[in-house]
Amino acid sequence: MKRQHVFVVGILVGVVFIGAVVSVVTTPELPETPTNVEAWIQPHTAWGDPDFQGVWRYEATIPLERSSEHEGRAFLTDEEVEEIARAEQELSANRLAGFEGAAVGRRTLLESPIRGNEYNSFWQYHGRARQAYRQTSLIIDPPNGRLPYTGDARQAAIRSATRYGIGPYESYLDPDTGERCLTDGVTATMWQGPNGGHNRIVQSPGYVTIVHEEYQDRRIIPVDGGSHRGIPQWLGDSVGHWEGDTLVVETTNFSNKMHYEWANIWTRVSDTLRLVERFQRVGPNIMEYTITVDDPKTFTMPWTAVVPILRLPDNTQIYEYACHEGNYALSNILSAGRSIAADE
Amino acid sequence: MQQGLQRSNVTVVAAVVAVLAIYGPQLWGQAADYVAPRTAAGWPDLNGVWQALNTANYDIQAHPARPALALVPAPPSTTTVPLGTDWATPGELPAPPVRALGAVGGVPAGEGVVVGNEIPYQPWAVLIKQENAENWLERDPEIKCYLPGVPRATYMPYPFQILQGVDQILIAYEFAGATRTIHMNDVGNSPGPTWMGWSRGRWEGETLVVDVSGFNGQAWFDRAGNFHSDALHVTERYTPISSNHLIYEATIEDPNVFTEPWTIKMPLYRRLETDKRLLEYECVEFVEQLMYGELGVFDPAGGQRGE
Repeated sequence: MKRQHVFVVGILVGVVFIGAVVSVVTTPELPETPTNVEAWIQPHTAWGDPDFQGVWRYEATIPLERSSEHEGRAFLTDEEVEEIARAEQELSANRLAGFEGAAVGRRTLLESPIRGNEYNSFWQYHGRARQAYRQTSLIIDPPNGRLPYTGDARQAAIRSATRYGIGPYESYLDPDTGERCLTDGVTATMWQGPNGGHNRIVQSPGYVTIVHEEYQDRRIIPVDGGSHRGIPQWLGDSVGHWEGDTLVVETTNFSNKMHYEWANIWTRVSDTLRLVERFQRVGPNIMEYTITVDDPKTFTMPWTAVVPILRLPDNTQIYEYACHEGNYALSNILSAGRSIAADE
Repeated sequence: MQQGLQRSNVTVVAAVVAVLAIYGPQLWGQAADYVAPRTAAGWPDLNGVWQALNTANYDIQAHPARPALALVPAPPSTTTVPLGTDWATPGELPAPPVRALGAVGGVPAGEGVVVGNEIPYQPWAVLIKQENAENWLERDPEIKCYLPGVPRATYMPYPFQILQGVDQILIAYEFAGATRTIHMNDVGNSPGPTWMGWSRGRWEGETLVVDVSGFNGQAWFDRAGNFHSDALHVTERYTPISSNHLIYEATIEDPNVFTEPWTIKMPLYRRLETDKRLLEYECVEFVEQLMYGELGVFDPAGGQRGE
C-alpha cells in the first residue's frame, strides 16, 4: 500500500518536470530531427503499443551533476551552449586526427574528465561531436542538480574515486562490479556505457525488452499488467505500463550488493533501491528519458534526471560484449597486486 | 557378483539401443499439418518461454547413467584375495572435486539428440573429444560461466524466451543472461567471431529457419566434450507442432572438424506456469573464486584478509 502511494507521487513529479524540460531543451542539430516536434506522430506497433524499437544512445554533453561553476543556474546561455558545441567539435577533430589524450582534455589524472587514463578514453568517444544542450545537469531534482548522497554514500564515493585504478587489488572482490564484468547497475544503463551506451529496444506483444550492449545487461519488461516477483536480482524486477504514449517502468527487488565496489556509488544496488522510469519519444529520433532514483541507503531523498537519448540509424547493430570471457585484465590486476605486495 | 554386474551393464546398453531404435518418426509425425497462430504481422507466433527436457547438455549422444561427470579409476586392490577371486571394486569413482555431491553429481542416462547418434568426427578430432571429456573440469566453458554458444544454449537446463519483434527476434536465455538477436532483415555477414554467433532468420512456412555463423570456436556442444571450430555453421529450424511444443532441429556443419554435416533434433516445451518469466542466472559471480581466488594476495575463500 505504501509502495503504491510512493509510486504515484513519483509519476506526478516526473510529469511536472517533463513538461518543463521539453520546452527549454535545445533540440540537437541532427538533420533528421524536425525542429517542430508537434508535427511528428508517435508510431505504434502492429499490436497497438507505442513503438520505441531501435538502437538508442546518449550523445549529449550534459553532466549528471551540475558543476560548481554553474551553481544556481539550471540552464546555460546561448553563448555558453555555442562555446560547448565549438569545444566538442574541436575535441572530435582532435580525436579524428589521432590526438587521443588531447581529445579528452586530459591534463593530469585527477583533472581528467575521464576518470582513469588515456587508455580508457576510447570507450567514451561517440564517433562524432556530442550535442550541446542548455541543461547544466541531467539531474533536475533536487533543484541544485546534485546527487543527494547520505554522508556514508558520499564517503563511499570519495573512497571509490580515490582508489580507482590505484587499488589496492588484493582479491577479485577489489575491482569494481564493472571490472568484474558483472554490471554497472541499471540506474544509468540508458545513458552510460562505452561510446555513450547502446541500448537496443525490441518489442513483442506484452513486452518491451532492452538489451544494453555493455555487460549484455538485459531487461525483459512486461507491459501487460504483470506483477513484481519479489525475487532479488542484480537488475531488479521491472514492471511497466503505458500512460498514453509514455512507457512507465517501476523496478524494485534489487539484490543487496552494497558491500561490493562500484565505479559510481550512485549506480550501486541495494534491497531498498527503487527506480521509476519514463520513456517518452518526442521526435522520430529523440526520446526524453526520465528516471527517479529512490534508495534511502544511498540518498537522503529521491532524485530525478531527465536525459535526451538519440535513436541511431536503422542499420545500427549492437554486438556481443563477452566481457567475462575475455577478462584478462582481472588476472593481470591481481598478479600486479601480488607483485606490489611482494615488493613492500 | 562381477558376472552379474557385467550382465546388467549389457542390459543397460541393450535397452538404450532398443530405445534409440524406436525413437524417431512416431514422435514427430503429428507435426505435419499444424498451423501456428499468427502474430499481428502475420508470422507464426513463437513468443513464449520455452525449455528443452532432455539430457543433451550432459551428452548429445546416447549415454548410460554414471556416477559423475568427472570420474577417476578406483585404486586397485592391494591385498591378496582367498579362493582365487578378486575383491569387488567399483571400477570408476567420482573425481575428488565432485565426490561430495553424491547423487546430485550423477549423470542421468539419455537417449541422445543426434539423429542416427553418430557424430562424424574426423579421426584427429575424436581424440580431442576424448581428451576434452577426460579434462572436463578444466575445459568445459559452462563451468566458467562462459556464453554457451549455439546450439548448446537451447538445451541447457534453463528456460529461454523468444521475443518476436519485427526486424529482430530476440532469444533471451536464462543461463549467463545470454541474448541472441536473430536478424530478420538484411544485415550482411558476421562482423567478427563471437560465442553466440551471428544469426540471420527467415520463415519457411511454419518454420523459423536461422542461419548462424561467425563463431569463435570456443564453445562446446555438451559436458561430454563434443566440440567444433570457428568454421561452425549451424542451421536451426524452429517448427511449432502444437500451441505448446516446438520441434528444434539444428544441422551442424564444420569442415574443420567433421567429415559431413549432421543434425540434432528435439522437442521444446512451453513453460506453462502463469505469467512465466525468465529470472537472472548471473553466474559470473559464482565462478570468480574458482577462476581468480588463488591469483590474489589473499583468497576470499580462505577467510579474512591479513592485518
